[in-house]
Amino acid sequence: MLITSLTACKKWVQNDPHDRYLVTDQDYLQSESDYRTMAISVYSPLQWLNQVTVIGDIASDNSVAGGESASDVLPLQQIDDFTLTPVNSTLTDLFQVAYEGVNRANYLIQYKDKNKAGETVNFNGKDALFGEIYFLRAYYYFTLVKMWGDVPLFTDGRYDNNNARATKRAPKAEVYAQVEADLKAAIAVLPITQAQQGRITKYAAQALLGKVYLYENKFTEADAVLEPVITSGAFSLVADYASIYLASGENGPESVFEIQYTNGSPYYNWGGATRGQGNYAVQQNGIRGISGSAAMPYAAGWSTNLPTQDLANAYSAGDQRKDVTAFNIEAYKTAHPDYGISYQVAPYKNTGLYNGKYLPRKGETSGQVELNYLNNFRVLRYSEVLLMAAEAINRGGGDDAKARGYVNLVRRRAFKDNNHDVATSGTALKEVIWDERRRELAMDGDRFFDLVRTGQAATKLTGFVTGKNEVFPIPIEMINVTGIPQNPGY
Amino acid sequence: MQIKLKFLVGMALLFCFVNAAYAQSIRITGKVTQKSDGQSVPGASVALKGTSQGAVTDVNGRYTLNLPQGGGVIVVSFVGMGSVERAVTAAGEQNFVLEDSNKALDEVVVIGYGTQKATKVSGALSVVKSADIQRQNPVRVEEAIQGRAAGVTVVQGGTPGSNPTIIIRGIPSYSGSDPLVVIDGVQQSLGDLNAVNPIDIESLTILKDAASTAIYGIRGGNGVILVTTKTGKKNMKTELTVNSSYGVQEVPRYMPVLNATEYGAMVNEGSVISGGNPVFPDLSVLGTGTNWQKEIFKVAPLQQHNFGVRGGSETVSYYLAGGYTSQSGIVGRSDKSRFDRGNFTANIDFQVAPKLKFILNTTGVVLHSKGIQENSFNSVIGSALNFDPTVPVLNTTNTVGKYGYSNLILSEIYNPLTKLDNTYNTNTGSKLYGKFEAQYDILKNLKLTSRLGYTKYDDNGKSFTPLVFYGPLNVDNSLNADGSTVLDRHNTVNHGKASNFNYSWETFANYNFKVAQDHNFETVVGFSLSKETNNGAGVSRQDVPFNSWTFADYRSATGTNTATNPAAKDGYYYEGFKRNMSFFARLNYDYKERYLASFSARRDGSTSFGEDRKFANFFAGSAGWVVSKENFFNVQAIDLLKIRGSYGTVGNDITPPQANGITTGGPDYGPTANSNGYNFSNVFYPGSTLNSTVNPLLGWETQKQTNIGFDLTMFKAKLSISADYYEKRVEGLIFYPATALPVGTIQIPAANIGSTKNNGLDLSVSYNTNLSSAFKLGNTVTLTTVKSLVTATNSDGTAKIFGGSYFNGQSQSVTVFQKGYSPFYFYGYKTDGLFQNTAEIAAAATQPGAKPGDIRYVDINKDGVINGDDRTNIGNPFPTTILGWTLTMSYKNFDFNMFTYASIGNDIYRAYERNGNFTNKPRSILARWTGEGTTNDARYPRYTFTDDNSNIRASDRYIEDGSFVKIKNVQLGYTFPSILRGKIFKSIRVYAQVRNALTFTKYTGFDPEISGGIFDTGVDRGSYPQPRVYTMGLDIKL
Repeated sequence: MLITSLTACKKWVQNDPHDRYLVTDQDYLQSESDYRTMAISVYSPLQWLNQVTVIGDIASDNSVAGGESASDVLPLQQIDDFTLTPVNSTLTDLFQVAYEGVNRANYLIQYKDKNKAGETVNFNGKDALFGEIYFLRAYYYFTLVKMWGDVPLFTDGRYDNNNARATKRAPKAEVYAQVEADLKAAIAVLPITQAQQGRITKYAAQALLGKVYLYENKFTEADAVLEPVITSGAFSLVADYASIYLASGENGPESVFEIQYTNGSPYYNWGGATRGQGNYAVQQNGIRGISGSAAMPYAAGWSTNLPTQDLANAYSAGDQRKDVTAFNIEAYKTAHPDYGISYQVAPYKNTGLYNGKYLPRKGETSGQVELNYLNNFRVLRYSEVLLMAAEAINRGGGDDAKARGYVNLVRRRAFKDNNHDVATSGTALKEVIWDERRRELAMDGDRFFDLVRTGQAATKLTGFVTGKNEVFPIPIEMINVTGIPQNPGY
Repeated sequence: MQIKLKFLVGMALLFCFVNAAYAQSIRITGKVTQKSDGQSVPGASVALKGTSQGAVTDVNGRYTLNLPQGGGVIVVSFVGMGSVERAVTAAGEQNFVLEDSNKALDEVVVIGYGTQKATKVSGALSVVKSADIQRQNPVRVEEAIQGRAAGVTVVQGGTPGSNPTIIIRGIPSYSGSDPLVVIDGVQQSLGDLNAVNPIDIESLTILKDAASTAIYGIRGGNGVILVTTKTGKKNMKTELTVNSSYGVQEVPRYMPVLNATEYGAMVNEGSVISGGNPVFPDLSVLGTGTNWQKEIFKVAPLQQHNFGVRGGSETVSYYLAGGYTSQSGIVGRSDKSRFDRGNFTANIDFQVAPKLKFILNTTGVVLHSKGIQENSFNSVIGSALNFDPTVPVLNTTNTVGKYGYSNLILSEIYNPLTKLDNTYNTNTGSKLYGKFEAQYDILKNLKLTSRLGYTKYDDNGKSFTPLVFYGPLNVDNSLNADGSTVLDRHNTVNHGKASNFNYSWETFANYNFKVAQDHNFETVVGFSLSKETNNGAGVSRQDVPFNSWTFADYRSATGTNTATNPAAKDGYYYEGFKRNMSFFARLNYDYKERYLASFSARRDGSTSFGEDRKFANFFAGSAGWVVSKENFFNVQAIDLLKIRGSYGTVGNDITPPQANGITTGGPDYGPTANSNGYNFSNVFYPGSTLNSTVNPLLGWETQKQTNIGFDLTMFKAKLSISADYYEKRVEGLIFYPATALPVGTIQIPAANIGSTKNNGLDLSVSYNTNLSSAFKLGNTVTLTTVKSLVTATNSDGTAKIFGGSYFNGQSQSVTVFQKGYSPFYFYGYKTDGLFQNTAEIAAAATQPGAKPGDIRYVDINKDGVINGDDRTNIGNPFPTTILGWTLTMSYKNFDFNMFTYASIGNDIYRAYERNGNFTNKPRSILARWTGEGTTNDARYPRYTFTDDNSNIRASDRYIEDGSFVKIKNVQLGYTFPSILRGKIFKSIRVYAQVRNALTFTKYTGFDPEISGGIFDTGVDRGSYPQPRVYTMGLDIKL
C-alpha cells in the first residue's frame, strides 16, 4: 500500500508534455512530411528580413526616411542620417531574425541523417530539400556579414543561450567561407527548376554565390558561377520594366530569386510587424492619405521611404525605369485627372517621389492592412545576374566586350532601343556598370551595400564616416548579454 | 441520521436567529463588568457549560439566563478578556467580573496549520487586526497592510481594483514576488484577495521568516499572508453590523506641461534650430490652449456597503455577510474605468458530534471591471501628457469625430478623449471559494483535520475596437473624415471566457502533549495534494453594426471569412494545469513557556521541474527565550521580554512546466512572434519549428533565512516593541535569462539564474495610553529597511538581465540585474552638464553628433569614446526605508485616526515622455539651454528636432528622487451617546475620512507610488495615480 501510494505520488507530479497536447521534438521528424513541413519554416525568416531591403536604400543616396517628423520612425531616420547608435530597434530585430533563420537551418541539418529519436528517415528528394536549407543558411549569414561584418558563426544546432558569454565574433572571412561552402553544397544538389514558385533553384544559388564572390572581390570565381545561369537560357529580360513589379509580374521570366509575400494569410500582430506573410515595407512606401476614384489603383501609406531627387536625376531621358523607381505623384496626378487624386505630402524630408516598385495598391492586402501586402521582394533578377557577370569580367581582367554586351542587354531593355549602348571599357566601364546597377536595382535594397562594397560610400553619402559606417552597430542588446566588442566608432 | 438531524436543527436555528431555550427552572440574572475600570461589558457571553444554553449581556452588561434544575457551571467570556467559570446551583443575582486579559500576552495567533499563543511564537510574524483594517476602509485588504506590518512593502496602483505589488522582506524571487495567500487554511493567490471583502476579515498574519513559512515549503518562498475570516462563536448572541460609506475621488495633482503658446514657441525653436521654418508663424493666436489632463481626470464616486450577522448556539455558529463595493476610476469614470464587487459569505461551524466538527466556509463573489489602456506614452494618461495643446477639446470642423484633432501629431498619439471615448470593454467574473473541513478529536489532544479547499473562478470579458477617425492627416484612421470606412478596415468585437479551478486536499493531525508537567509539545504532521487547472476560449468577429458598443456582440456582428480576410470570425482555446504534492510536519516545544523551540519540515514535489529535481526538502527551526518568565527576572515595568532566533529554508516553483515543443502552423501571436510557414506560388503552406526548449537542470529556488529578534511589552502593555533583523539569501533564482540575440525567436526556458542577499530590520513600536478617563491615545510606528544585493549571476558573474523597457522613439531599457548591485537598479549614462561651446566638445570624450547645448555624458571607462560601455548605475528604484505611523485618539465619543506612510531612498525614472517633435513637453523645458552660459543643467539640453547627440538616451537626466511622505488616511468619527441607541442599536458611529490626503515629495509626476512588476519598479510610463478620496460613512451595530 505504501509502495502504491508512493508511485501514485510520483505520478501526481509527473511532467508529461502530452498531457498538455504538445508535440515534442521526440515525436517529430518521423516522416518525409515532417521534414518537408519543417523546411518550409526555414524559409519564414526570409520574410522577416523585410527591413534589410528598406535600409539598403534609406542608408544610401537613393531614398530618405520621410515620415511625420524627425522623431517619427527614429530607427530609420538614424540610419538615413548616419546618427546611428547601438540602440536601434529595427537593427536589433534584423540581427535576431537573421539568426532565427540560421538556427532553423542548423536544427534541420543537425537531424538530417538521424532524427532526435535516433532513426533515419529516407525519402526521394531529401538531398535536394537540404539544398534549399543550405541556401537559406547562406542567405542568412550573408545578410549578417554584409550588415555587421564580423558576426558570431555557428553551424552545429541551435545557439546555446547558456553559453552566451562565450560568444565570439568570427572574422568576416570565416563567415564568407561558410556562406560559400553552403552555397556550393546547395548548388550540388538543387534542381534547376521547382514545381512551386518561390522555391530555391540551382540558378538562384549560383546567382547568390556570384554576388557573394563580388563582395569578396573574387571576380574570376564570380564569373565562373554566373555564366552558367546566363548560358542556361532559363531567364529572359521582361520588355516592360514596370510590369515586373506588378502582382502579375511576380516570379516572372526574369526572376531568379524572390522573397515571397502574400495577402492570403492575413496577419494582425503589431508585436511582430514583419512576422506574417505580408510585406510590411509596402505600407512604409505608401503615399499619405491618397484617395481618389475607384479606378485609382493606389492605397495610402506612411511615406517613410522616399526616393531622392538625386536618384531621379540618375536616369536619362527615355529610361523607362525612372517613372516606376522614382514615382512622381504630381506628374501622375496631372497625367490622370480622371482619378481625382488627393493626398498629403510627407511632412518631413518630402521629395515628392515615391517607391513605385512597391507602392501599396488597393485590394493587395488583407487582415491588419498595414502588415499584409502581397508584393514579393525581387531579390535577384536576371538583369542583375548580367550586371554582376559584367562587373566580374571587367574587374577580373576579362573580355570587356563581353561585359559591355551584358550591360547593353540591360540598357536596351531600359531604353527600348540600341541607341543608348555603352562603348567604354576598363575603369570607365566599371563605373558605368556600377551606375547601371543603381538605376536597374534602385529601391530593391542593394544600393548602400554596393556603395560600401565598391568603396564609393564615403564620396557619395553625406555623413558617412569611413572606418565606421561600412557596417552597422552591433545591437546594444547583443553587447549587453554576450559582451562581444562593438564595431569601431559606435 | 443523527448528523443530519443536527444539521437540520442547525439550519433552523440559523434562519430563525433564535437561541434555544429549554425547560425553565432556575433563573439567574446579573451584570458583567470589567475589572480594570468597573465598566459594564455589553455583548459578553454567559453560557451553561456543556450545553447550548446561554445568553449575551445587553448594552448595560446585564443578562438573564434560565438554568435547568440543579444548576451547573456558568462560563462567562468576552473577546479580549479572560473567561470566568463559576458553579451556580440557586436562582438569583450572579455578577461576574472579567479580568482584562493582557491582550498582548494572551493573544493567540494563526500560524500555518494551527494556532499558537503569541507569547510562545519564536518565529517572525506580523499581525493586522480587523479594527485596523476597518479603520482604513479599504477597497482591497492589502491597503491595510501597507505600513502596518513591518517588513512588508506594499506599492499600490491607482487603477480601481488592481493588484498592488507586495514584497515581504526584500525581493525574494523574480518569477513573481506575490506572497502565498492562505484564506482560512486554503491556499490561494494574491490576485484572489480582490475577491475578499476586507470587512469580513478577523485577522491577518504575515509570516516572514523561514521558521514560520517553511511549513508551506515551495509556496512559502515569498512569505505567507494568512487570512482568517470572521466566524460566529459558540453561544454567541446574534450580532448584526451594517457599514456604509460614500466617497468622492479626485486626482491629487496635475503635471506641469506646456500651454499652447509655450508649446508653439518650443516647436518653432526646435524646427528653426534643425534648419526648418517656424511651424507656428503667429504665436499670439494660440493662447493657453487645452490642458488634456484636466479633460481626462474627473471626480468619481467610491461607495461601500456591507452587512454582517454572526452568532452561535452550542452546536452551530455562523457568520453571514454581504457586501457591495463600487469604485469608479478618476479617468473616464464609471463608463470606462471601474471596479465593482458584490460578495456573500457564509462561514458555518457544525459541532455534529462531541468529537466531530464540520466547517463549511463559502464565499461567492461577483466582480465587474472596466479598464483603460495604461502605462505607456500613448495610453490615455500618456496621451494627455504628450498630446498637442493647441487642439481644441471639441471638433469644430466639418468632419466626423466628437473631439478635436492635431494636424501635427499624425500617428501613435491621439486626442486622449478620442482614445477614451473609443475604449469599450467590460469584464464580469464570478468566484466561488471556500472549504469543507472536518475536525475529529481522536483523543483529547489529538485532532485530525481534513480539508478540501477550492477556488472556482470564471471570467467573461468583452471588448470592442471601433472604427475611429483621428484627424484628416492621421495615418492610423479607420474612418474617413466623412464617416465612411477606410478600405479594408473593420471594427471588431472580442469575447473571452476563462475558467479556473484550483483545489487542494490537506489532511493533518495536531497532537499536543505534555511530558513531566512542564514540557509542552505541540505537533502537526500531514500531507497536501493540490491541482490548479485553467482553460479559456474566445471568439472575435468583425463588422459590428453601426460601429456601436450597443451592438457589439458576436451574433449581431456580420463579418464572414473570405480568402483575404479569414479572421473576420476567429476563435481560440487554451488550457493548462499544474500539480503539487507535499508532506509536512512541525514540532513546537516549550518549557514553562520560558524556553521555546520549533522545528518544521516539508517535502514538496512539483510538475514544474526536471525529472531529477522534482522533489525537495525544506527545514526550519527556531528558538526563543522568554526572559521575563525567569525567576530571577524582576523588573516591574516589563510585562514580557522575549528573545527569538530562527533559521530555515523555503523555496519557490513559480514557473510553468517545460517541453521541447514543436509548433506547426502559420503566424505566431506569442511574445516572440516565432511564426511558421511560407507561401509558394501564392499558396500558403504551414511550417513547423522548435518553439520552446527544456532546461533539464531547472530546480528549486531556495532561500535560507536567518532571523534574530525580540519582543518587549512594558507598563501593562502600554508600550510594546517588536524588532527583527533578518538576512535572507536566495539561491538559484528562477527567471528567464537574458537572451542573446542569436537565440532567435524561440522561447527560452526559465533557469536558475543567480543569487541575492537581502537583509534588513523590521521594527514595530506601539504606545497606547489613557491620558484621562476620556482621552485615549495610541501610536504605532513600523519601520522596514531592506538592502538587496545580487551576489551571483552566471559562473563568471558577468551576465546582465535587462528590464524596465519603454519607448521614446526607440525602445529603451533602463533596469538591470547584475552581480554586485542592487537588483534591477537603473542603468544608463551619467551626465556631466551641457556642452557650452565647440571647444568643450573637442576637449571631451568623442561623442558623435554632439553640438553646443547637448548633454555631455561621462566617459566611465575612460576610453575616450562615449558608447554603451559607459552606462553605469544611475539610481535605485527600491526604497531603503519604509515608515508607517498610525495615530489613534479618542476623546469621549469622538475618535480620530491618521495613517502616515513614508518611502525613503527610492528613485523614479521618468518614462512617459515620447520626445516627439510635436508632442507636448514638461514645463521644465522652458529652462533649456539657449546659448553659451544659459544653463549647465543636463536635464535641460537645447531643444532641437533632430537629436543627433541622442539626448533622449537612457540617462540620469530622467531620474528623480521618488522619496515621499503620504498622509494616507485621516478619519474623524463620532459615536452617538447611549441615549440615542435605545433598544435597537448597540452603537451608531458616523465618520468622515480623507484618503491620500497629502503627499510630500520632490517627484514631479502624478504619484511617486508606482506599482508594477519587479523588473519595472520605479519606471513611470504614465501610471494611473491614486485618487484622493473624501468619504462619509456610517457604522451601525444591532
